[in-house]
Amino acid sequence: MSWSNPYLLYLLPLAVLPWLSRNTEKQIVWQALLPRDNLSAFIGFSLHFLASVTLASLIMALAGPHIPEHTVQRSGQGAEVIILLDRSRSMDQPFARQHRFRLSTKMNFKESKRSVARYYLTEFVNSRPDDRFAYLLFSEQATTILPLTYSKETTLATIEAGGLGRGLTKTDIAVALKQAGKMFDGETYRGARIVLLISDGGQILSAEQEQQISHLLRENQLTLYWIYMRSVTGMTLDEKPGESILWQGAPERQLHSFFKTLEVPYRAFEAGSLEEFSEAMATIDQQHYQTLMLEQRMPRQSLADYFLWVALLSLLPLTASQLYTWSGVSRAYHLKKH
Amino acid sequence: MSLSYPKRIFLTALVMLLGLLMIMAALWLPPIDREVEVMDSLFIIDITDSMNVEDVRFGNKNINRLDWAKEYTRQAILSMPCGSHVGLGIFSEARSLILMTPVEVCANYHDLMQMLSQFHPTMAWARSSEVSKALYTAIRQAKEISPQPTVVFLTDGHEAPPVHETLFPKFTDTPGEVPGVIVGIGGSDLVPIPKTNEFGEIEGYWGINEVMHRDVYASSRGDSAELNENRPRTEHLSSQKKSHMETVSKRVGFEFISSPTSAQNLIREMQKISVTRQQPVKYDLFVWLASIALILLVLVFLPYSLFTKQHD
Repeated sequence: MSWSNPYLLYLLPLAVLPWLSRNTEKQIVWQALLPRDNLSAFIGFSLHFLASVTLASLIMALAGPHIPEHTVQRSGQGAEVIILLDRSRSMDQPFARQHRFRLSTKMNFKESKRSVARYYLTEFVNSRPDDRFAYLLFSEQATTILPLTYSKETTLATIEAGGLGRGLTKTDIAVALKQAGKMFDGETYRGARIVLLISDGGQILSAEQEQQISHLLRENQLTLYWIYMRSVTGMTLDEKPGESILWQGAPERQLHSFFKTLEVPYRAFEAGSLEEFSEAMATIDQQHYQTLMLEQRMPRQSLADYFLWVALLSLLPLTASQLYTWSGVSRAYHLKKH
Repeated sequence: MSLSYPKRIFLTALVMLLGLLMIMAALWLPPIDREVEVMDSLFIIDITDSMNVEDVRFGNKNINRLDWAKEYTRQAILSMPCGSHVGLGIFSEARSLILMTPVEVCANYHDLMQMLSQFHPTMAWARSSEVSKALYTAIRQAKEISPQPTVVFLTDGHEAPPVHETLFPKFTDTPGEVPGVIVGIGGSDLVPIPKTNEFGEIEGYWGINEVMHRDVYASSRGDSAELNENRPRTEHLSSQKKSHMETVSKRVGFEFISSPTSAQNLIREMQKISVTRQQPVKYDLFVWLASIALILLVLVFLPYSLFTKQHD
């Protein structure tokens, strides 16, 4: 239990006031004439005591007793998801563009790959109540700008911010994947861990980078999903017979074949249209309802009411006795006048 | 005290009864709706190299400008009432990058702090520091956010490469359309700028011949006579560029405050210019009612006899 205004507790000595006040104006000839009565002594003592309790509990109620915000563990159904959204310039290009003979002069940012990704990520986050999300920002360096959090509001705000402005010139998927792998270093395993990479391009990794990434992903038991936002109609991540020779050995394909060699669950989704993109998100959504240990934040709970109840229950007999005294005394005075 | 004994007993009983009623009201009166004025704001923090300079007084030691900016942002967030929204962003090169659109400050305080603590010069995607252009992009992006936030731009105002007064980047939007405050950081003496490596460790300082000292465009123009006049080459050193920030803030219709001492300075400026929203909050009257009850009961039990003259 803690107090929000602990300095008010300095008022607690006020609770001795009832023991100091004494009715000296009663007209009694001689104190010794008063008979000693154990019952009255007891009643007198309890009334003083009740008065003290009332004052003290009121002061304590005002000092703001509360149980501070704390977390409790509970198990839910979900996963821990790290979002790796490619913020490169190419993501500003329109998504699922139809082949035309001339290029459109109008840039429609509403349909850029980045805004499409933002839209479906928002849907995804909203549909998964128990998941924890983290968000990695990467250019040449990767920074975990949002560590794993339960807050939907901050996750969505970060995703939304990812859709603002223009893309960055230089992005490095390798540092991002490494950073994502490292995020779970030394963390206890709570449930499924997912890396959700959304990008429109690949990258040729060095042997050293490949080795580091595969080690980190395996050590921390991550599952990798790659939503590949295709820019060229027709190109697939897996080679097809009779395709354009230009596509052979494209960075995307090299990245894909590296991912396939990883010893962790991996799945690529090739999104060439809005439908495909939403299907990919739906598939991931269905696959990850495993038990996840999660922390639930219990809001701060005020205990002032309990103290008010004590004050109420002790003041009640006190007031009653005072009213009784008053009725007795006024009757006595009334009789005297006659 | 010239009240008769029965009257005094009656008065005491009455006051006690009142106190009792107050406690009951404190327990059972439902919280009432009260409107508080809240703001939406977007804090953009300069993370360029010049922010590593340790020339800001904090307590009794000097800390670097970036740490001060982060601490100041934290204090500003703490002094806002619940219901206020704060977003975060960083600036490097010639643009601002919004990292989180405004979120409610009380419920998301932890996440806001987590993000703020991550702001380091290593996040920069390029090594230049074009303050005015970055400010313009911040304003443009703020317009895309609804409700539109007040921009708080924390910087030392150091333009690298430097900008010639006549070749200022054009601000094409309406000044003052997006309200904002520029918070100037840093000391007034020119000091060397630490250089950071890719891990964010400081490795020496920017040398006099490693930075540009003239506006790139100005040097390609004809009026070289003016340019070649004997001006000191000090662009590798940094101080708080107050007059420059004043000019920039006038251009975009922002307020400018230099090295504020308390978060309240900023909050006050923001309240003057921001579009505030009325946010209903539940307000419990219990504190007032319980205080009245306490005062009444203290009055009942005060030992008047100790300080009133006894009269027989």
